[in-house]
Amino acid sequence: MEVNFRKIDIDAFDEEVLRESDLYEEDPRGPAQALDEAKQKQTAVRSSLARNDIVGALSLVLDNPPYGPHVEEAKNISLQTLLTILNTTKSTEITNVVKSLSPDAQDTLMKYLYKGMGMPGWGDISGSVLLGWHEKLTEVAGTGCIVRTMTDRRTV
Amino acid sequence: MSNVLRPYLAAVRSTLTAALTLENFSSQVVERHNKPEVEVGGSKEVLLNPLIISRNENERVLIEPSINSIRVSIKIKQADEIERILCHKFTRFMMQRAENFIVLRRKPVPGYDISFLITNTHSETMLKHKIVDFIIQFMEDVDKEISEMKLSLNARARIVAEQYLTAIAT
Amino acid sequence: MAPEVYHIAQTPIIAHAFNADRSALAVSLNSNEAQILARSGKEWATIETLSEHDKVITSIDWAPNSNRIVTASQDRNAYVWQQTPDDTGKVIWKPTLVLLRINRAATHVRWSPNEDKFAVASGARAIAICSFDPENNWWVSKLLKKPIRSTVLSVDWHPNNVLLAAGSADSQARVFSAYIKEVDSKPAATVWGSKLPFNTICSEYRSPAGGWVHGVAFSPSGDLLAFTSHDSSLNIVYPGSNVVHNVRMPSLPLVSLVWTTEDTIIAAGHDCQPFVFNGTEGGWQEAGTLDDQSGGASGGPARRGGLAARSGAFAAFQAADSRGLGGSSGSSGSGDTKLTTVHQNTITDVRIYDGAPGQVARVSTSGVDGSLAIWDVNAVSAITGRLGGMSMR
Repeated sequence: MEVNFRKIDIDAFDEEVLRESDLYEEDPRGPAQALDEAKQKQTAVRSSLARNDIVGALSLVLDNPPYGPHVEEAKNISLQTLLTILNTTKSTEITNVVKSLSPDAQDTLMKYLYKGMGMPGWGDISGSVLLGWHEKLTEVAGTGCIVRTMTDRRTV
Repeated sequence: MSNVLRPYLAAVRSTLTAALTLENFSSQVVERHNKPEVEVGGSKEVLLNPLIISRNENERVLIEPSINSIRVSIKIKQADEIERILCHKFTRFMMQRAENFIVLRRKPVPGYDISFLITNTHSETMLKHKIVDFIIQFMEDVDKEISEMKLSLNARARIVAEQYLTAIAT
Repeated sequence: MAPEVYHIAQTPIIAHAFNADRSALAVSLNSNEAQILARSGKEWATIETLSEHDKVITSIDWAPNSNRIVTASQDRNAYVWQQTPDDTGKVIWKPTLVLLRINRAATHVRWSPNEDKFAVASGARAIAICSFDPENNWWVSKLLKKPIRSTVLSVDWHPNNVLLAAGSADSQARVFSAYIKEVDSKPAATVWGSKLPFNTICSEYRSPAGGWVHGVAFSPSGDLLAFTSHDSSLNIVYPGSNVVHNVRMPSLPLVSLVWTTEDTIIAAGHDCQPFVFNGTEGGWQEAGTLDDQSGGASGGPARRGGLAARSGAFAAFQAADSRGLGGSSGSSGSGDTKLTTVHQNTITDVRIYDGAPGQVARVSTSGVDGSLAIWDVNAVSAITGRLGGMSMR
C-alpha cells in the first residue's frame, strides 16, 4: 500500500500558512546587481585600506550589504572583503574603530562575524581574529546587537 | 587554560545570554500542547537564526534559539585517536544519565559531541545567569578532564609496558 | 526613591492586575489557578483562589469600575469573574463562561476602556473580541482573523473603545477596528482612520530587525502607538506623518511597556530592570532606568554595579587564566548568585499603579523571580550596566 502520503506536510498547503519569505522584505537588488555592487565595493575598500582608512572601509562594506537566499556569490565577496579589513586591523585599534561605526553598521558587522565563525577554515578566516572583534563589538554595542543578529532574517 | 580560550568562552557567554530570553509559548500547531519549538521546528517564525561560535575547525559551539527553548551543541577538541575515544566514552556516560543534568540532551545534534536543551521552564526555575555559568564551566572542565584522562591513560600504558618488558628481560 | 518590593512567590508571576483602589491584587503564579491577594501589613496574603482553568493562566486584567476580573489561559478558555454572594451569603468570585471559539492557547487579555468588551489574543491566529450577551448570561466573541498568520502575543485598547493594537510573532504590529454594533456608538474619526467597520486594518508595522512583537501600547491620547520587539528595540509610531522611531537597545529585549505621559514610556523585559524612554516627534531616546542597581545586591555579598560587574566576569577569567585553574565559573559563582537589579529574573508585566492615564506617578512590575515591585516613575537614574545582560552578574 502506498504510505508516502503520510509524509506530506499538509500544513504547507494551508492558505494561511506563514512562509519564510513573508518574514522579511527581499533584497530589491537582483543577484547580478548585488554581485556588481559587491565587486565595486571590494575595489573601493582596497583603496581605502591603502590610505589606512579602516573606519571608512568598514562603513563602505557594511552599508547596504547583499542579503537573502539568491545572492550567494555577492555575499561571499562581501565576506571576503570584510575579512581583509578585519585581518589588517591592529587589535589595539579595534575598540575605537567599532565605536565610530553607526548602529546599523555595528549590527551588520555582528552578522558577518557570526557568518565568519560559522565557516571555519574558509578563505583566510582566523578564529582568534573574529573572536577578538566579537569581544570588542559586544563591549560597545551590547548583547542587544547579538539578539538582533538572531532575529534579523535578512541574513548576510 | 590558555589566553586564547578566554575570548572564545566570552563569546559563548554573551551569545548564550542573548539567546536565553525565553518565554512560555504554547504550540500554535497542535492544540493544548506546549513543546520546545527548537525541537519541533513546525513554526518558522518562532525560530531564530542559529549562530556558530568557533575557535577553529575542531572546536565550535552551535546555538539554536527559539521563542521558548534553545539548543546548545558543543564540538569538543579531539586532537588524536585517544582523545576521540575518550571524548566519545565521556559524553556517552553523561548522556546516558541525562536526566540528572536536567538541561542535557540525550542525543547530540549531528556534527557535534554533546547537546543541551534549555527550555523556558529551566530559565524560570533556575537563575538565567547560572545556567550560562554552568555551560561555560562544562566547556572548561570537559577539555581539562579529557586531557587529564589522556595523561593518566598514557602513564598507565607506560607502567604496564614497563612491567611487561621487565618480565621478558629477566 | 527605592521601589517597594514584595516577594509574592517562589514561582514566576506571569501576569498581575490591581483592583481600582489598589487594595487587592490578582496574580497568575505560573499555574492554572489565579490568586487574589490582599494587603496585610507589609505583605500580600492570598484571600481567594480562582480555579476553573486547567492550564497555565497567561494573562489577567481587572476592570476598575465594574470590578470584574478576566483571565485567559493556555487551555483555550477565558473566564470573567464577578463578586457574587453564594448560598451562605458569603461574597465570592464566580466565573462566567466566555464563548471564545479559538482552538489554541489564549495569550493575552485586556478590558476595553469602557469595560463593556474585552480582547483575547491567541495562538489560533485570531483575536477574540468579547461582549456580554445578557439573554444567555455569557460572553460571546467575534474573531479578528485577517491578516493574522501567527500567534498574537499582546493587545492594547485605544481610549475610544473601538481601536485595538495587536503585536504578533510574525514581527508585525497592527491596529484593528474592533467595532461591535451592539455595544459601541459610532466612533469619531481619529488619526488612525474615520470609517471603522469590524476588522478594518488601520495600519501595519514591521519591527525593523524582525523580532516578535512582545508588547503594544497606545499613548494616553491614543494618537501614538509604541511596540517593543524581540530585536531589543522600542518603536514609536506617529501615524499622522507616518514616521516610525526605532530606539535600539544595547541590552536584552523588552517584553512589556506602559506610557506614563504623552512623551514618556516605561518598558521592561529580559534585562530585569524598567527602562525609561522619552521623546517627541523629532526623535526618541533612552532616558535611564528606574532601578539604581543597589537594591537587589544589598542582601548578597556581591554588591557591584555597571563596570565593576563586568570586571567580575573578567576577574574570574583572569584568575583562571593566571592560576591555570579551570574553576573560574566556580569561583565567580560563589559570591554573585544575586543580580544587582531588584528583579532577579525577566520582568513579565508592567502596569500602571498610580495616576490617571497621561500623568502616571507609579508603575508596578512583576517578574519571573516571583516578586512584585512598585516604582516611582520620576526616580530615573542613569544606566550603569552598559553591557546589557553581561552586567547581570
